[in-house]
Amino acid sequence: MSVAATHRRELSVGAAYGALLVALALFAPAFYQRANLRDVLVGAAPVLVAAVGMTLVILARQIDISIGSQFAICAVVAGTLAKAGLAMPIAAAGALATGAALGALNGVLVAGFGLPAIVVTLATMVGLRETLRWVTEGVWVRDLPPGFQWMGLGQDAGRFAIPGLALLVWALVAWGMRHLAGGRAVYATGSNAEVARLTGVRPRRVVFGVFVAMGALTGLAALLSAIQFIDVQTNSGVGFELRVIAAVVVGGTSIAGGRGSLVGSLLGVLLLATAGPALTFLGSQAYWDRALQGLIILVAVAADAFGSATRLKARP
Amino acid sequence: MTLLRLQEVSKAFGGVRALRGVSFDLRPGEIHALVGENGAGKSTLVRILTGAVKADSGTIEIEGRRVERADPVVMRGLGVAPIYQQPALLPDLTVAENIAMGLERGGPWRRVDWRSRRERARQLLARVGAAVDVDALAHGLRMAEQQLVEIARALGADARILLMDEPTAALTDREATRLFELIRDLRAHRVGVVYISHRLEEVAALADRVSVLRDGELVATRDMAQVDRRELIRLMVGREIQAIFPKRAVPIGDVVLAAEGLACRSSGIRGVSFQVRAGEILGFAGLVGAGRTELARVLFGLTPADEGVIRLRGAAVRVAAPAEAVRLGVAYLPEDRRRHGVIGEMSIAANTTLAALRAITRAGFLDFAAEREIATTYLQRFAIKAPSIDAAVATLSGGNQQKVALARWLATRPSVLVLDEPTQGVDVGAKAEIHGLIVDLAAQGLAILLVSSELPEILGMSDRVVVMRAGTVAGVLDRAVATQERIMTLALGHAESVPA
Amino acid sequence: MSYERGLALCLVLEIALFSIIGWNFFTPGNAGEIVRASAEIGLLALALTPVIVTGGIDLSVGSLLGLCAVVLGVAWRDAGWPLPAAAAAAIVAGVAGGGLNALLVARLGIPPLIVTLGTYSLFRGLAEGVTAGVKNYSDFPASFLFLGQGGVGAVPSQLLVLVAAAVGFWLMVHRMAAGRTLRAIGFSPDGARYAGVSVNRRLGAVYLLSGMCAGVAALLYVARLGQAKADAGTGFELMAITAVILGGTSIFGGRGSVGGTLLGLATLGVLQNGLRLADLPAELAGVVTAALLLAALGANRVFQGRDGT
Repeated sequence: MSVAATHRRELSVGAAYGALLVALALFAPAFYQRANLRDVLVGAAPVLVAAVGMTLVILARQIDISIGSQFAICAVVAGTLAKAGLAMPIAAAGALATGAALGALNGVLVAGFGLPAIVVTLATMVGLRETLRWVTEGVWVRDLPPGFQWMGLGQDAGRFAIPGLALLVWALVAWGMRHLAGGRAVYATGSNAEVARLTGVRPRRVVFGVFVAMGALTGLAALLSAIQFIDVQTNSGVGFELRVIAAVVVGGTSIAGGRGSLVGSLLGVLLLATAGPALTFLGSQAYWDRALQGLIILVAVAADAFGSATRLKARP
Repeated sequence: MTLLRLQEVSKAFGGVRALRGVSFDLRPGEIHALVGENGAGKSTLVRILTGAVKADSGTIEIEGRRVERADPVVMRGLGVAPIYQQPALLPDLTVAENIAMGLERGGPWRRVDWRSRRERARQLLARVGAAVDVDALAHGLRMAEQQLVEIARALGADARILLMDEPTAALTDREATRLFELIRDLRAHRVGVVYISHRLEEVAALADRVSVLRDGELVATRDMAQVDRRELIRLMVGREIQAIFPKRAVPIGDVVLAAEGLACRSSGIRGVSFQVRAGEILGFAGLVGAGRTELARVLFGLTPADEGVIRLRGAAVRVAAPAEAVRLGVAYLPEDRRRHGVIGEMSIAANTTLAALRAITRAGFLDFAAEREIATTYLQRFAIKAPSIDAAVATLSGGNQQKVALARWLATRPSVLVLDEPTQGVDVGAKAEIHGLIVDLAAQGLAILLVSSELPEILGMSDRVVVMRAGTVAGVLDRAVATQERIMTLALGHAESVPA
Repeated sequence: MSYERGLALCLVLEIALFSIIGWNFFTPGNAGEIVRASAEIGLLALALTPVIVTGGIDLSVGSLLGLCAVVLGVAWRDAGWPLPAAAAAAIVAGVAGGGLNALLVARLGIPPLIVTLGTYSLFRGLAEGVTAGVKNYSDFPASFLFLGQGGVGAVPSQLLVLVAAAVGFWLMVHRMAAGRTLRAIGFSPDGARYAGVSVNRRLGAVYLLSGMCAGVAALLYVARLGQAKADAGTGFELMAITAVILGGTSIFGGRGSVGGTLLGLATLGVLQNGLRLADLPAELAGVVTAALLLAALGANRVFQGRDGT
C-alpha cells in the first residue's frame, strides 16, 4: 500500500485546512493579524491536549463524553489550591492528578466492570457536573494569587508557552504511540481485543490506562485554559467533549477503533480552531457554533462511510 | 523423546463431561490427525492444549517436562501454536506488526524497532513461501494469505507444536496443496502437527497417525497406513454406516428456476445460465472462490444481479433483497451457520418462524399458538435434540442447529431451496439425517440447489452437477457420467492431478 | 427473582421512603404531578426502547425536543400560523430530525453512537441559532396550555397521551411481528438480513418513530411550561436512557421490555419528585440518576450472565 493511500485521510484533512487558509487570505485577510493568530492558537491549545487523550480513547474503541465535566472540576481544583496558598506547580499537579483520578473512575467502570463506555461516561458527565455544582453552589473561585494567571510568566510569555506546551505534549505522545509497545497495544486493543489478548496484550489494562490518560490530559487542558484568566469559573467546559470528539473524528480516527493517528487529530484541531473564528470573520454569529460542530461531525463520518469500503466489524 | 504427551486428561463443563481420561501423544516430526464427530471433544482438547481452558485432571508434558500452569501466553512460550479456521490477526495493523506482536516481550515502555520488525517478517514469510507485502494491512489479505501469516508467526515463535483446526476449510484446492507441502516441510524440521479435520481424504493423504475421539474418550490411535475410511467412520460413530447417501429416484417435474446470463460485477459472477426442475437436486461443484456462494447470494437477493434474467416458473423476476426472494419462494441455507444461519440467542421457535413471520401474523399481531405448532412440528419431524422449543439455539450442537436452520426455510414453503455446504462441520450421524431430509424434500417437489465442497456428497446426492470456475459455468454433468476426475478437470480448467 | 420484580420492589421501597421524609408525597394530587412531570421523558423513553432493542442508541432526543419546541414557537408567533398547524410543524420537524438519524444509521450504516452525538449537537445548535440563544416564545392560548397544565381532578391531561403511547409501544415490541424482527436485528443484524428481514427499513423506522415522539413530547413540554426556548429538553436524553436501561433493556440489543421502561420511568419520576418534596437539593437528583444508571448497567450484566448467554 503506498504512503499516499495509507495516509489518505490525513492528506485530505490537510488539503481542506489548506483550502480554508487560502479562502481566509482572499476573503478575510484580517484573520492573519498577529494578535488574532495568537488567540486562535492559544484557544486551540487546550483542545489539542484533550484531543491527544481522546484519540487514544477512540483508538482503543472506547469513547468519553464526560471530559467537559472533568475539565470544570480540574479547573476549580487548580484555582482552589492556588487560593489556599500552594505554589503553582503543586496546584498544577493537583489539577492533573484530579483529572487522572476522574479518568480512573471511568476506567474502573468500563474496564473493571465491563460496562459500555458511552453510557458510563454519560452518567459520569452528569454526575460529576451536578456534584461540582452542588459543592461550589455555582460560586466562582475568585481572588486568586497573582502567580496564578499565566503561571506567573506574564501575558506575552504565557501566550507563547501555552500552545508550545500543548504541541510538546502532542509530539511526545505521537512518538510514543508509534515507538512504544504501550502505544501499539492501544492500536491492537482497538483493532480486536480478543486477538490482542492472545499476543500478550492486556486489553483491560489498556482500556483503564487510556481513560486515566484522558483524565490527566483533560486536567492539563483545564489548567492551560484556567491560567488565562484571573478567576476560575465553575461552569466551564460545557460542550468541550463535542469539540474534542469532532476534531478527532474529522482527523480520521475511526469510531470502530484500531485506525487513526495523532497527526490527523492535530490537523483536525487546527481545522476546527480556524473554522470557528473564520466564520466569525466572514460574518457569522457565535450562537451557530454548536450547530456547526454537529454538522462537521456528521459530514466527517458520512464522508468516511462513502469513501472507504465499510468493513463491518463485529460488535464487542 | 515425545514432543507432547497428555495423560488421563479430563474436563467437564458444568456437569457435561467433554473429555474423559484422554491420553494422547505427539512425536517430533509427526503429523497426527484427530478425528471425531461434533461434540466428541476435539475443540475442548485443542483449547486445553492452547491454554485457553484448564483441565480438571490429568497432566500435560511438553518435551518431557510437566506443564504446571497453562494459559495462552505460557503455552505459546512453550512452543504451542494454534492455527484456526478463522485466522486471528489484528485487522487494522500491518502484516509485519501482526507477526511481531506476541514475539516481543517486555512492558509498555519498551521501544519498538520497526526496521527489525519488517525484516523479520520478510524472512518468516519467505520461509513459508508467502508472497505478501509486510506493510499490507491484515484485513486486506485473503484467507489463505492470513493463514500463512499466522504460520509464519508461529515459526517465528519457534513453535514446535502446531495445532491446526480445519485449516483447509476456506482454501482453494491449489492453496490447500501448498499448505500440505508446507506441513510436510515442517515435519521434516521435526515440528509436530496435530491436524483436526472432518475431511477424511485429507487426513488419509497427510497424516502419519490418527486418533479417534468419541463422546469425550479417545477410542483408538492407529497408524494411518493400517486403517481405512470405513474403519475410521465406524470408530467415530460406533456403528456401521451402510448407505452413506440415501439418494433414490424421484419424479422430476417442470423447470422451476431458470437463470439466463446472470452477472454480478461486484461478486465476479458472469454469464451464468442453468435450469433446475421440481424434484431435482442440482449440485454445484467447484473450487472455493469459483463463485458458487456468490451465485447463491445473487439468487437470494443479497447481492442482486446487474445483468441477466432469473425466471421462476417461466416468469421473469427481479430479486433485489432477501425479503423479496422469500416472498418469491426462494430459500437459502447459508454457509456460515453461526453468523447467518441461525440467531443463537433466540429460541428454536423464534428462529423457526423468523423467515415466515407472515404465516403467523394476523393484522400485524403474532399468533403465538401457531408459532408453537410450527416449531413443534419441525422439532419432531427433524428429530431435533433439545429440551424444548424455547431453548436458545446456541445451546444446541452443530447438527441440531443446522436442522433448525433448515426448519426455518421449510416453514416458508419455498419452491426453490439453495443449500450452501449444508453438512459442513456436522458430525457423521447428523450428516446422514440431513441427507435423508434433503432427499425427502426433493420427493415432495422442491427444486434443490446443493453447493458443496465435498465431492462424494455432490456425486452421491445430485441428479446433475454444475461445475463452476472463475465466476461462470464451466460445464454441466449428468449423474450417470459425473466422476471426481471429470468434475475436477472442469473446475481447474485443464487436466491436472487431484491434490495428493 | 426476576429483574423486573426486583425493580418493582425497589419502586415500592422508594415510594415508602419518600412518603416518610417528604411533604405531602403520598397524595393523589402528587401522583398526578409525577405523571405530569414525567410525560415528556416517558414518551422519549418509550420510543428509545425499540431503538436500544435493535442495538442502537439515540442521544439526540433531548436536543430534538428543543428544536421542535423552537419550531412550534417560530411557526406560531413569527410566521403567524394557527396553533394546530404550528403543532403539526413541530411534529414534522421531529420526524425530519428522526429521518436524518435514520438516513445516516440505516442507509449509510454509520454507528448510531456517533451519528446521534452529532445530531445531539446539531439539533440543539439549530435551536440556539434560530433563537439567537435568547428568544423565548410564550403567551400560548389557554386551550393549548390545557394539554400540559390541565386535567380532570388529580388526573393530568398528559396521562392520556402517555397511556396511548405506552400501549402502542408495548403492542409493537411484544405482540407484533415488527417487535420480533427488531429483537432479531439487535441480536444479529447479519443473521436477521439472511432471514429475509428488511433490516434497513426497520432500523430507519425506529429512528423516525423516535423523532416523531420527540416532536409530540415538545408539544407537551411547551404546554406544561408555557414557553418555548432553545434549551427545552436539556438533559432529557440521560433521563430517558436511564429509564430504559433501568427497566432491564440490554444496551447491547435483543433483550428489552416496555413494561420495564415504564417501571424505570416511574422510579425516576418518583425520585425527582420525592427529592424536591423532601427539600433536598436539585443537584442530588442528577447525581442519583447517574448512579442509578450505572447500577442498572451493572445489574444488567449480572442478570444476563445468569441466562447462560
